[in-house]
Parts: sequence; C-alpha cells; structure tokens
Amino acid sequence: MEVKKDLLSLIGKRFTQIGLPKELFEKNRFNLLVDRNKVVVRYPAPGVRSEVVETPTGVKTKVYIEPGTKLEEPVVLCFGAAEATEVQTTEGEIVVGEGADVKFQVYGAMAEGIKLKHKNKLKVRVEKGARFEFLDLHYNGEETFVELETETEAYVAENAYFRSVFKQTRGRAGKVRIVLSASVDKKGVAVFETKMIGKKDDEIYVEDVIHLNGEESRGISKSRIIAVDETKATFVGETYGNAPRCRGHIDCSEVIRGKDVVVKAVPVVVVNNETAKVTHEAAIGSIDKKQLETLMARGLSEDEAVDVIVQGMLR
Amino acid sequence: MSPLLTVNNVKLTIENKPILKGVNLVVRKGEIHAILGPNGAGKSTLASLIMGINDLKEPTEGEIIFKGKILNGLEIYERARLGLTLAWQDPARFEGITVEEYLKISGKNNPELDVVECLELVGLDCSYLNRFVDETLSGGERKRVELASILAMRPELAILDEPDSGIDFVSMEDIANMIKTMRERGTTVLMITHREEIAEVADRATLMCDGKVVQTGSPKEVGEKFKTMCVKCEVRNPELVGGE
Repeated sequence: MEVKKDLLSLIGKRFTQIGLPKELFEKNRFNLLVDRNKVVVRYPAPGVRSEVVETPTGVKTKVYIEPGTKLEEPVVLCFGAAEATEVQTTEGEIVVGEGADVKFQVYGAMAEGIKLKHKNKLKVRVEKGARFEFLDLHYNGEETFVELETETEAYVAENAYFRSVFKQTRGRAGKVRIVLSASVDKKGVAVFETKMIGKKDDEIYVEDVIHLNGEESRGISKSRIIAVDETKATFVGETYGNAPRCRGHIDCSEVIRGKDVVVKAVPVVVVNNETAKVTHEAAIGSIDKKQLETLMARGLSEDEAVDVIVQGMLR
Repeated sequence: MSPLLTVNNVKLTIENKPILKGVNLVVRKGEIHAILGPNGAGKSTLASLIMGINDLKEPTEGEIIFKGKILNGLEIYERARLGLTLAWQDPARFEGITVEEYLKISGKNNPELDVVECLELVGLDCSYLNRFVDETLSGGERKRVELASILAMRPELAILDEPDSGIDFVSMEDIANMIKTMRERGTTVLMITHREEIAEVADRATLMCDGKVVQTGSPKEVGEKFKTMCVKCEVRNPELVGGE
C-alpha cells in the first residue's frame, strides 16, 4: 500500500514525543502501523502473510508465518492513537509455521494527553520446532490515561519456543489488566516477562498462567513491577506442572516507592506429576539500600541512583 | 605529605554499646594506608562512618575532616562529590546494568575515562563490557569490576573494604599492583584488610582492636604486632587495647 507520508510524519511527531525511537519513523521501519482504526503503513515482511481488516473501533489481524521462515530483523508493528479517541480494540491471530524463527517488535503508543480504553485479544500458535518472540513495548505520555485490557492465549507445540515480553517503562501505566496464558507441549518452552512502572494512582494487574502439559516442557514467568506514589499492583503467576519431567519457575520482584503503594504478588504452583518440578521466588520491597548507597558513593543523588536502578530492572 | 583525611577522637555508640572508643587517624595525601585488625575491631564501622553509609552519617562524638571540610552529617553523594568513595567488601549486584554502563556512571566526571583500560588494570578484558553487573559475575569478577569502577571514578580518596576478599590467592599480586596504580593516578588509598601481604603494599598501617587504634607505623611493624598479638587472641586482649 502507498504510505500516507503526511500522516506518518504527524504520527511520528506525536509518538516520538512520548519516547518512540525516531529512527522508526525516519526510516519507516514499520511492517504495519495502525492509528486508532486506520492502517497507515503496511509493508509485508518476507515469509509473513497477513490480513488486516479495519473495524469501527480498531483492527482485526491474521498473521501466518510460513514454515521455515527465518528473519534476522524483527517484524515491526505499531498500534496506537495519535489523536483523541474513546475506544480502540485490536484482535489478532498469529500462527508461526513449523521451524520458523521470527521476532515481532510491537509498539503500543498512546500520545500525550489521550484518555482511552484499549482492548486487545491475541491468539498465538507456535508450531513444532518454531521459535517466536513477541516484544510488546508500550509508550504512554505522562498525562496519558489508558485503560488497557489485554489477553493473550498461546499454544506452544513440541520443541517450540515462545517468549512474550510486555514492557511499559515510560509515562503512566493507567489502569492495566494483562492476562497471558500458555499451554506448552512436549519439550516446548514458554517465557513470560512483564516489566512495568506505575505512577500516581495507576492500577496494574498481571496474570501469567502456564500449563506445562508436555513431557519435559519448560515455563518461566517473570515480573518486575516498580510501584510509585499511590499505585496498586497485583501479580498473579500460576504454573501447572502436568507432565513428566516438566519444569516451571515463577520469579516476581516488585519494588515499592511511596507510602501509599499497595503491591501484591501471588505465586500459584500446582504439580500433578511426581517427576514435575515448579519453583517460585517472590520479593516485594523498597529499593535495595546497598545498590542505592553504592551509586551515591559514586556521586549520584538519591533520585539519580533510584532512576538508574529502576531502569536496569525494567530493561 | 599533608593530611587528606583526619579522624579526630571519633566515638560511636549504638544502642548503648560503644563501638568506636575515640579513634584518631590521619591519612596523608598520596599515601596507601592500611587498617589491620581482628573481626569486630571496628574497621568497617569506621569506613562506614567516613563514607556515611549504613545510616552512619555522624559519630556520637568527634569529627571526620576531609580536605579541611567536616563530613559529619553530609549525605553520601555530597561526600562523593568532594572526592571520596568506597569499594564494598561484598559489592552490590545490579540487574540490567552492564559493566560498561557501571564504569561510565562511576567515571562520569573523569574526562580521561577509558573503560577498557580500567578493566585491563584489574585483570579483565573488554569482553566484560557487555556483561551485566548481576549474579552472572562470580564473586571475584564482581570484586574486580568494583575496583575497576574506582579507577574509573578516580577519586581523591578511595576506601577499599577488604579488596582482597573473594579474590583467589594467585591474583593477590594483581590486586596489590592495582592499588599501586590507583595511587600513581592520584588517588590516596585507605584500605581495610586482614591480610599482611596486601598490607605490605601500604606506606603506613594502623592496627585497630576493640574500637580503638592500637598502633600506627610501618606495615612491617604493625603487621608483626597484628600477627603476634591479634591472630592468636580469641578473646579481645585487654592489655593490647590499654587495659579496658
């Protein structure tokens, strides 16, 4: 499709203002860019077939990655709102064909000052021996308020690998509900990582559910949430070890900074097979004092030191 | 050599328990000064008071003076900005921060910063630049990175709390050389150690026991006293510390 250059430039201006890399727009690195419910850029990647349908409030996408497709560069997608809108809904299905190896870099961008509800549903199927990484990178403005509800349901086939990363490290989180679930087959691997910062009265709810159904399957659920001011954050990590010699681990480390912060971590570990093993570690607390003092002994003020530590954790 | 740091009759009492009992110490500009002493002598507490860490911002009595300025009550970063720093015995780990970033943070005010050189001086090569300063580094590697970060910062006074702990014996010579390099580059070193072979690098040494300074002199004299009187002493020796 022909790129709407003026529109792209306008969107670029608003999105780079909230931290999206300029290079994305300068070199038009997008394979798909959607503003509210309009497709602005669509540029197919080799081996990746897709259907995109505009709906009254957003888009529906179907992506099929042909078996054996191996891409060195990530497929870059962006779903955002550069101008005011009340609701944005996105629905997607991704099938990663056998033996394929691809990475999706997906930007969620809500321009400064926007208030909207964003609903997202995604189904992912990673076929036998395939490798799929889904990096979901969210950028909001400091004055943006988004009510985000996102659900991802994944099936990871035999010997396949699926990694999903949700990252929101700039601007306000808003009111966020993230639910990720995966069913993992024989020798398959599922990795869920969530890295977020909540400010003011943001509310964050993250639920990772991994069913290790195949023999020797693996699952890791990792969360890093920094809760500041009056943020309320809950992380629920559930891992079910249902098959022989499967292994699962839940790792949540949440940092609180503020008197009115409420953070809850709920690891749920269920094992239904005597040779399965699922472990968890959870830590909630303020910034590590020794880390803070180390950086201050190098001349950083307390706020500068906190910033360095937090950005490292959210990396 | 003029005094860079003066610890003037410093006493520290925590929960009615005297920890430091009138410590006097002078660290001269340009010297390597070792503090020796048994466990519980108050060496690390004194280092914490000088740097202002572990909530020890000022002594119960006495003064700590650096470059003519009284440090009592100053924040850690204010002391660091005066040219003072400390390398921890068991340094902190940082998730998501690379060695290169850590060295650049430490050396942000050093216009001649060369991160590769800093690593080489502590026996690490440039392949470490992209490693994270987290649990993936061994204890010895982390310790070396900490010492490299001091080289990167190039402070006027570096307090090294047991620079030899976690380092294998074979590399002890490297550490000794690195401490000498620090001095060659204009950093005065105050180091706390249990090991005489590291103390030998020093120009002067001070022996501490039971919250007091027992002796200051050449590393040989002080090391001898430490070896003959402290190592064998399982209970603190009242005679050694002046009959208390």
